[in-house]
Parts: sequence; structure tokens; C-alpha cells
Amino acid sequence: MKPAVFDYVRVNSLDEAIEALARYEGEAKVLAGGQSLVPLMNFRLSRPGVLVDINDLAEMAGVRDLGHALAIGSMTRHQQLVNNDFIRERLPILPRVASYIGHWAIRNRGTLGGSVAHADPAAELPALLTALQATIVMRSPRGERRLLAERFFLGYYSTRLDWDEIITEIEIPFPASSPGFYEVARRAGDFALVGALAERGTSGGFVTWFGLGGRPERMALPAWTAHEEERRQLLRELAGKLDLPSEEEYKRTIAVSVAGRAMADAEGGN
Amino acid sequence: MAQAMRPQMMGARVSRTEDPRLLSGQARFLDDIQVPGMLEVAFVRSTHAAAKIVQMDLREVQQYPGVQAVLTYDDCPVQLWQREAYEVGQPVLAHHEVSYVGQPIAAIIADSRYVAEDAAELARVEYEDLPPVTDMRRAIEENPRRVHAHTPNVFFHKEYATPSVEQAFAQAPHHLRATFRTNRQTALSLEARGTAAMVDTATGRLTVYASTQSPHRLREDISGLLGIPTHQVRLIVPEVGGGFGMKANCYPEDIVVAKAALMCRKPVKWVSDRTESLLSDVHGRDDIHDVEVAFAEDGKIVALRDHLMADGGAYPAYPFSGAVGETSLASRVITGPYDIPHLATVIDCTYSNKMPLGAYRGVWGPVASFIQEGIVDRVARHLGMDPAQVRLRNIIQPHQFPYRNAAGMTYDEGSYQACLQQALELMDYEGFRKRQQELRQQERYVGLGISAFVEPTAMASSEAGSVGYESCTIQIDATGRVTAAFGLGPTGQGHETTMAQILADQLGVRFEDIIVLHGDTDSAPYGGGTGGSRSGPIGGGAALVAGRQMRERLVKYAASLLEAGEEDIELGDGKAWVAGVPERYISIRTIAETAYTNVTKIPEGLPIGLELTARYLPKSPRTFSNGTHIAIVEVDVSTGSVAVTGYGVVNDCGRLINPTIVEGQILGGVAQGIGAALLEALHYDESGQLVTTSLMDYLLPESTDMPRVMMRHLETPSDGEGGIKGMAEGSLIASPAAIANAVSDALAPFDAFVDTLPVTPEMILEMTRGELAR
Repeated sequence: MKPAVFDYVRVNSLDEAIEALARYEGEAKVLAGGQSLVPLMNFRLSRPGVLVDINDLAEMAGVRDLGHALAIGSMTRHQQLVNNDFIRERLPILPRVASYIGHWAIRNRGTLGGSVAHADPAAELPALLTALQATIVMRSPRGERRLLAERFFLGYYSTRLDWDEIITEIEIPFPASSPGFYEVARRAGDFALVGALAERGTSGGFVTWFGLGGRPERMALPAWTAHEEERRQLLRELAGKLDLPSEEEYKRTIAVSVAGRAMADAEGGN
Repeated sequence: MAQAMRPQMMGARVSRTEDPRLLSGQARFLDDIQVPGMLEVAFVRSTHAAAKIVQMDLREVQQYPGVQAVLTYDDCPVQLWQREAYEVGQPVLAHHEVSYVGQPIAAIIADSRYVAEDAAELARVEYEDLPPVTDMRRAIEENPRRVHAHTPNVFFHKEYATPSVEQAFAQAPHHLRATFRTNRQTALSLEARGTAAMVDTATGRLTVYASTQSPHRLREDISGLLGIPTHQVRLIVPEVGGGFGMKANCYPEDIVVAKAALMCRKPVKWVSDRTESLLSDVHGRDDIHDVEVAFAEDGKIVALRDHLMADGGAYPAYPFSGAVGETSLASRVITGPYDIPHLATVIDCTYSNKMPLGAYRGVWGPVASFIQEGIVDRVARHLGMDPAQVRLRNIIQPHQFPYRNAAGMTYDEGSYQACLQQALELMDYEGFRKRQQELRQQERYVGLGISAFVEPTAMASSEAGSVGYESCTIQIDATGRVTAAFGLGPTGQGHETTMAQILADQLGVRFEDIIVLHGDTDSAPYGGGTGGSRSGPIGGGAALVAGRQMRERLVKYAASLLEAGEEDIELGDGKAWVAGVPERYISIRTIAETAYTNVTKIPEGLPIGLELTARYLPKSPRTFSNGTHIAIVEVDVSTGSVAVTGYGVVNDCGRLINPTIVEGQILGGVAQGIGAALLEALHYDESGQLVTTSLMDYLLPESTDMPRVMMRHLETPSDGEGGIKGMAEGSLIASPAAIANAVSDALAPFDAFVDTLPVTPEMILEMTRGELAR
């Protein structure tokens, strides 16, 4: 369980990083927290020719208030999302969801941008970003590009990020009302077996499921009801639309329960 | 100071001698063995479950910079055979054919592991696939084919029946049938396997470092299989980070690494990585039981039929097959702690294209308990009786000991009934039943599972081998300090603590003046290693016998030097004194000085020095520990999740050496039981690929999965030395059944029973489908 041979570049600025990616023409991978990439390399499932280490780019970590949204640097560690007082006050759902990622040691290293780039369909952050209609900000030699999360995530571990692009920031708009969240995992800290975020809209609302199929899916809920049986019926219909591989078919039932609990959570005002 | 007032070390909660080095990261494990010039090994392993090797091209591997040697079967033509028992043996490197995914084919010896792994990727192996044999029931019927053409798939078949079992079935008013399935697991020790070997160029001796439970046996295996005289092989076991039976085998890698060191005349090391560990550490628990039970109206179980099947994998693990171990002993203890007079068993162990089955803590026990306790609960529910009452009706009564069970096994005295009763009381059984009813009104499903177990320990023969005795060599040096060497192979059990406790009491020296040695065949007396819950009762017994013999010698010295009668000498705190006259004393140090340097004062008839070896062979072929576990779970029927919310254990392992260590053993077994019941499964797909090759897929219990465990001890001594019984496996024997029964109990409103381990969310949802469809 040793990685295949690779070269290693440690960069001092974002420009240098972008330059390095361009120079290696698709051979390079960005090393951020390394919590997914390094294990994949050790299994030799990922064999980048070069690692471009951006861990010295302190300017890529941190939070800015844009008034309507929070802009969070891609190198912000998960545990910083959990601990940051400003985020806790302005976007409390984010620290709450981030606290479900792995264990403390993993959260100390893993980054927001890394989780987004890796795009595990059962990961919490891509789901939250999809639910909140966050914008992924990327830089390349061609300049800056912005994509809604919903457009950014394509499927299993697959995104619209080009080989010469680096995720620099994520803009998360403040939701009108705080979304509800619920997740089932086999063990504490595991990727979700099934998770859901629920946002209440003016009439209906939205449910964003994750751990099902290839990417988080945000789906419109035609009505929002507190009546348990009606809610269950609505969610059952919605979950029926999910495209699931046969071995995940049993999860449809869990999806209904989990989304129901996320809705109840949203009503409880967390 | 009177001897009776001296604190007895045996039975005391002494902190473990091992812990400071382990907890501060100072312990030295196999991978810490670093020798200048050491080469490292990577194995080319089969990626096919069943195939002929048509061609193998290793030229690129050989030419890769940093590669020193490449070994194939031709370089190391050794087979792991136990010819008297089985018709096939595994070649240590595949020979023209592969029989399971992960089977070693070639060994790459290189300057570093990185280089070795890079080079291993360049091996070109051309396979011609054969139909993989992956389904146990079909394999027993020789379908789709024989794994080994010259011998049937069923390599172990045995039938047994008590004389009137058919009649008992015919006469009983009630019958139930059930099939129980346990899925493959592996021990998954924190420290994976590993072997390092080097030749002493001066003497020509081969030194092998190995992470093993069986130092002497592994030395004999290496010596025998490679044709080296035993005294030319020295086996050293460094700190071992867990074994659980899995490290009791001699593996192909052990032989290949030793051979590589002999061929290269350089130190060679191989340490398993986690994927290799999941692929190639012996697996366990691949069993199916078709069971039928006959019982009376009052819940009395009268007869049991069991067809025990196990998938032994491609070869019998060397030198014993776990499939045979799991089934044959299960068939003899399948009635557990219950008085069930009639029994019929049929055993079939089959080959398949999977990793060989070996021992994993509890071996037969977790499977047998799952079945026996599952049956009792089914009987109770069928009759509308309380499961605790059915157990109390069937459990072996105190006056029945020694009890001979339907399979002919004799249980020595235990506290079966008392443990069950006390466990019910410990967990407030009546209160729980009330609470359960209330919660069901709120559609919350909690359940309580009872698991009363028997644990045969200190067996004359077990996975640790057929050395039924253990040895202890005591040396008191000229300053009065003690070293005591054992043939054990501890993997974290704390023998350095427990054996020193026993010896401190016997020798009258301070606990901290005793160092316990083990694991180096140059210094350790011949012994059976650690396994089968033998080290406490047999190793501890050897410590008692050797300690007593040395004590007699010290008393003779003291009597002679103090000019007193031997019967008046007392020992303690590093001194010997005349009873009632504590100022008339002599230190053990002075006695030791005398024994080595003042030989004219040695009492007549005693040898020079203070050294002796004693061996202890228990007079009974085994002694049974017992106890009861109770698990409380809550099942979330909407998501299929199970949480173990409460746990209680009443345990009886005879006389306790160190209650803290016993409790640590129990806690570990409960944790592994949670893994067995809810999480851990090795899964092969239809083509014979192992799809659980990382800890992302093979789920181990985590600290957050553990409930607080309440523990209580009863002590029914064995008839062996010190009254000690073994206890290392009972907690894992009992716990999967307790949790499985708790889940069944929680799901009683759905009329569901757990019959397969581990219970997954998917299975829970299936069992409660009625609820969710509404």
C-alpha cells in the first residue's frame, strides 16, 4: 500500500499553483488536506504524476461576509468550519453539518475545497452546498469561473472542474430560513448511508438527498405539511423519482424517513 | 508481620506492566525491526479466484532497479501440508494454478517496499479462468466443480447422534426449524501480520522475527518445511499488537520470507498492509446451520438436530483448518449451558475459491451461541413464554455438575443458573419489560437479548496446538531479582503482569522485582504459545508450580541461614523471616548471593544457584468458564439503524488473577461482538472477488458504538492449579448472540427473528417491511 512514483511541488501563491497545473498539462493533482487523495494514491487508484501542494496558501483559508452570502476560502479546514464563531452565528447549519464529517483528526486536515473537488456522493458538504445553492469559484489561466453547486457536481466523484482549475472560494447565500438536516451512517463519522437537507419555502420546499446515487439531488417539494402521513406520502413520491442502482434500492425507504426527519428538524428551528 | 496480612498479588487490580510502553508509543513491534541492509518484500497476489496460470513473465520485474531477487514456486517448492489430516496443502507460492484472490504467486525482494511494489506491478501473469466455487451449499454438492480435481469438496464429514434422538423428536409436541448464517470475518488485529528473517553469517543460524502467537511451533514449522535443524532456527516475537487466533497459523509468507533471507544472505522483512490483511489473514465464521428443535409445552427443550456447514476456503489453513475447528467443537457444545438430552449433528466442511478459514477468537463459540440462544428465543416466542423463563427452565442446575452433555462433553462445576439470575437482576429485567411496553406505544423499538454461554478453556489441544502443558523457567539472579520465562505468545493480554503477580506471591519478592520473558525460543522454555484461552490456566498453573518449587528452595535456605525450622519460615516483601519473630529475617538478596557466590553455605542437597524449570499439565483435558451477557438495543425501524444502548455481563472464569485485565478482555470481546453482530463482513462477489478490501468497506466497531458495560464476577474455581479458568473468548462467544437476540426482541412486534450476522440496515428494513408499507 505505497503510492506509485510522483513528483511534488509546493507552491507559495495561487498564481504559482495555477502555473504549475498548466505546466504539467493534466498530469498534476492539487494536494489540499489529502484526506481522500492520499488514501486513493496509496491504493494506487489515483496516480497523479505530480502533486501541487497548496497547504502554504494561507490566503485561501478564511471567511468573508458578502452581505447576502458568506465567502469561504477553499483551504478552510472542516474543523474551522465547525469552530468559527462568525460562521456559527451567521450560518449555523454549516458547522452543524461539518461536525458530521469523519473524526476530529480528519476534520483538522480535510478542506472545504478538497471535499467539493472530490465530490463523494455521500459527503455532507457537497450536499449542503447543493441545498443552499452555493456558488463554486474557480481560477485557471483563463481567469475566474463561477458555477452553481447544482451544475458543478456531475456524478460519482465527477465535477465540472477542469484539470487546470483550482477551487478558490465557495459563496454560500444565507438561506431565508434555516434548513433541517438528518443523516444515517453505519458508524459515527462515516460517510452517510443516506442523508437529507430540507428547506421550507413559501409554499412547498426543497429536499436535498445525499448518499443515494451519484450526486446530491435537490428536489422541489410541492407542498410542506406537518401531518406525518401526508408528509410521508409526499416524500415517497419524491423519492420514487430518484434514479438508484439496484443495490441501493432499499435506501429509498430510508430516504423517505431521513427527509421526514430533516423536515421536522427544519420546523424545530434546529 | 504475619503472612496472612501480606497483600496477595493474585486477585488484585494491579496496573499492567506493559501499559506505559504501549500507551506512550515506545513498544517495538515487528515493523520497528530495522537492520542495516534489510530488504523488503512485496507479493504478487492472484487477482483471480480460480484460474490456471498459463504463463508468467517476470523479466521486467527482475530488471527493475532495486530488485534483488524474485521468488516463485520453483525457488521455494514448499507446500503447507498436514498430510495425515488433509489431501491437499497450499503451495507457499502458487504452482500452475491459483485458488483464491490474494493467493501469493511471487515474492519481490527489493531495496524498499516502494520499489518492491512498483516492480510487482510489472509482473505479467496470464490466467485461464476456471469456474469459481463461491457458494457453500452448491460446493458441498460438488457444484460448479471440484476445487481440487483429485479430492471431493467436502474435506471433513462427521455424523453423531444420541441413541434415542429420533424417538425424542417423534414424541415431542412442538418442533421448529431455522437456518442460521454467519458471514466471513477476520480478526483484524491492529498490528497486521509480519515476518523478518536474517542469517547470522558467523554461525549460519537463521533468526526469524514474527508477529505470532505460537513462537515454538512456528520455529518448528520453519525448520521442518525448509529442512533446517531446529536448533539452527531462532524465533523472536517482538511486541504483538493483537492476534485473536489469526496469528496462530504458519502462513505462506512466513516461509517465503525465511527462504528469501537464506537465498539472498541478507535481512528480509515483510509487513502486511491492510488490504493484504483483509485478503490473506485467515478468515473465520463462514458457517451455515440448518437446525431443528423439539420441545415440550412447558418450554423444556428435548432434542436438537443440526447440520453444520462451513466454507473452509481453498486450502486447510496450516496446520489446522478453521472450518473443522468451528464446526467440530460447535457440534460438541451446541447445547451450550442447557440440559438438552438428545442431539444429532452432521458436519460438512467444504473447499471453495476463497481465503482459507482459520481461527478467530471464540472460533466455534460465537457461531454456536448464536444458534443455541436463537433457538431458545424461538421456542419462547412460539410458546408465548418469557425468554428468561425458558432459559431458567432449561439451564443446567447446580446439582448436575459434573455435567455430561448430549455430545459427551463433561462440564466441570460452574455457576450457570446464578450467572443468568444475577444478569437479569443486574439489567433490571422486569423493569426493562415494562419500559419496553411503554416505548412500543410510542413506536420505539427497544429489545433485550440474553446470551448464556459456556466456554471450554485450557484445552489439551486447541488452535494453539497440541502442547497441553506450559513451562516456566525461574531464574533469581545474585541480587535477588527474578526473571521468569514462558513459552507463551502474548498479543496484548498482559502476561507480564499476571504471571508476575502469581510469582510475587509464591516467591515473596516484590512485584516490580520480577521480569517476565517470552517469545524468544533461545530463552523461553518449550511451550504451546497463546491461544484457546490457555495462558491463564495453564501458563498461570506453570507459574504456580515453578513458583512453589522455588519457594521451597528459598525456605530451605532461610531455615538453614536463620537456623530455624523450615515450617517456621515465612516469605514476603523480599525477605524471609521466622514466624512471629520478624526481626529474625534474611533478605532474598542475601539468599541469592549465598546461592551464587557463597557456595559453601548452600544447604545440603540444594544445587548451586537459583534456577529451575517446571511444567504444568492440567489433569483435566479442559475446564469450562461460563456466564451470561445481556444486551439492550434500540432499533430505528425507519432507517434500519441499531444502537446498543445497554450491556451487562456476569462472568465466571474461576479464580481471578487480575480483575482489571479480565474486565479489559470482556470489554474487548463485547466490542468485537458488536462488530460481528452489526458491522463486520467480508464479502466475495459471484466471481470470487473479495470486495471488502479496505476499512471503508469492512466496518469495525468504533468507540462510539460501545455502550457502558456493567460487569460482575462470580468465582467457581477449576480443579486445576490455582482454581484458574481461561476467559479470553467467552465475551466474544456470548456477545454476538446477545445483540442478535436483542434485535429480534425489539422486532418482536413484526414477528421477526435475526438469522444472519451481521444484521444490516437493509435486513432490518426487510424484516419490518410491513411497518413501512403502511
